[in-house]
Amino acid sequence: MTPGAIELALFGFVLVTALATAAFKDVLAAIIVFAAYSLGMAIYYAVLLAPDVAMTEAAIGAGVTTLLLLLTIAKTVRPGRDRLLEEIHLPGLLVVGAFTTAILVTVTSFPAIGSPDAPIISHPEVSQYYLEEAYHDTGVENVVTAVLAGYRGFDTFGEAVVVFAAGVASLVVLHSEVFTRE
Amino acid sequence: MSNANGPDGTDAENGEPDESTPVRVAGRAMGTDDTYVESQVIMTTVRVVAPFAFTYGLFLTFHGGGSPGGGFQGGAVIGTTVLMIAFAFGIGPTRDWLSNRVVVGLASGGVLAFALIGLIPLLVDGRFLEHAVFSDEFDLYHGKKYALEGVEIVGIAPIVAAIVIGLFFAIAAGFTGEVDAWHPAGPEGPPGTETTPGTGAGDQSGGSDAETGSDHDVATGGEQS
Repeated sequence: MTPGAIELALFGFVLVTALATAAFKDVLAAIIVFAAYSLGMAIYYAVLLAPDVAMTEAAIGAGVTTLLLLLTIAKTVRPGRDRLLEEIHLPGLLVVGAFTTAILVTVTSFPAIGSPDAPIISHPEVSQYYLEEAYHDTGVENVVTAVLAGYRGFDTFGEAVVVFAAGVASLVVLHSEVFTRE
Repeated sequence: MSNANGPDGTDAENGEPDESTPVRVAGRAMGTDDTYVESQVIMTTVRVVAPFAFTYGLFLTFHGGGSPGGGFQGGAVIGTTVLMIAFAFGIGPTRDWLSNRVVVGLASGGVLAFALIGLIPLLVDGRFLEHAVFSDEFDLYHGKKYALEGVEIVGIAPIVAAIVIGLFFAIAAGFTGEVDAWHPAGPEGPPGTETTPGTGAGDQSGGSDAETGSDHDVATGGEQS
């Protein structure tokens, strides 16, 4: 699949906002650009036909995370904004560059989106089974939900408990008034 | 932003008991210190948008079996709606309106409901979370579908929504609780933070505690409020 204009524009937007998040010295500016990055990623997921992921990214990534980060910097002291961009830290740049290179090398071994050689198309047994049997087995039309809450319900139960435990742990660590009020 | 220094930075300057008491009460009722600006634009926008966002969250939750979405997405949107309301109308009032018991109860109740729905099949020799039992053994119409959606609606969505709301309140607690209690906004506070009508005089003990070192201020502040 050759990327169209929308994909290229979104990719450029996401790339620029990601770099700007790392480069801005002012924390508030970085958070705002990071929210824009999340929104771009959410639209990108929607373009790539993953609406479930797009919704989560829009609500959690662009919404909740931004608010929590804003609250956090409101409680701290922002350093002076003597310059616009962060100065480049050479060892850090080397490490991140090496990491990015390693990731990019693995990307080339992925099949292209929609390629007939992709395992999901050349070996359709697993995916076709879910597409054909999900409604009969679980009674819901959305195969993603059927897999998550039906076939892998135990897995999802573990995830829900992890979310609960992580939330409780964060509240305890923050020593929040949430539990002591009233 | 100027008076948001550390918890013990400004005690010495303006920690007079009779000054701090009324401001503390006002700050608590108002919910924030300098982070909250009463804005007609934001309040009106949120008033219009929030019902639709909340309904959309409910739709995602209840309709996760038929269209994209599900408990996690729906719960996140519902939680975000509460954050939006808190952003527009102040964190403290929102927290008082939505009591902590509700938040904690939603999270714990979600886990319990998820586990209970999973345990029911064990009664009839099924397996944990084997939703097909609801159709086959209990003869419920679309039983397996409703069991699966029940897990999404009363299990996952409340957990996610409550954790989102709880984390937000916990991080914001510094404004409404400790910071407001022991750092009266004073002259440098922005207008609008001290204009709460009608909250009567607070307890005098809060003011006297402000003089004794800042270490257990936080602790006593938590117990009193």
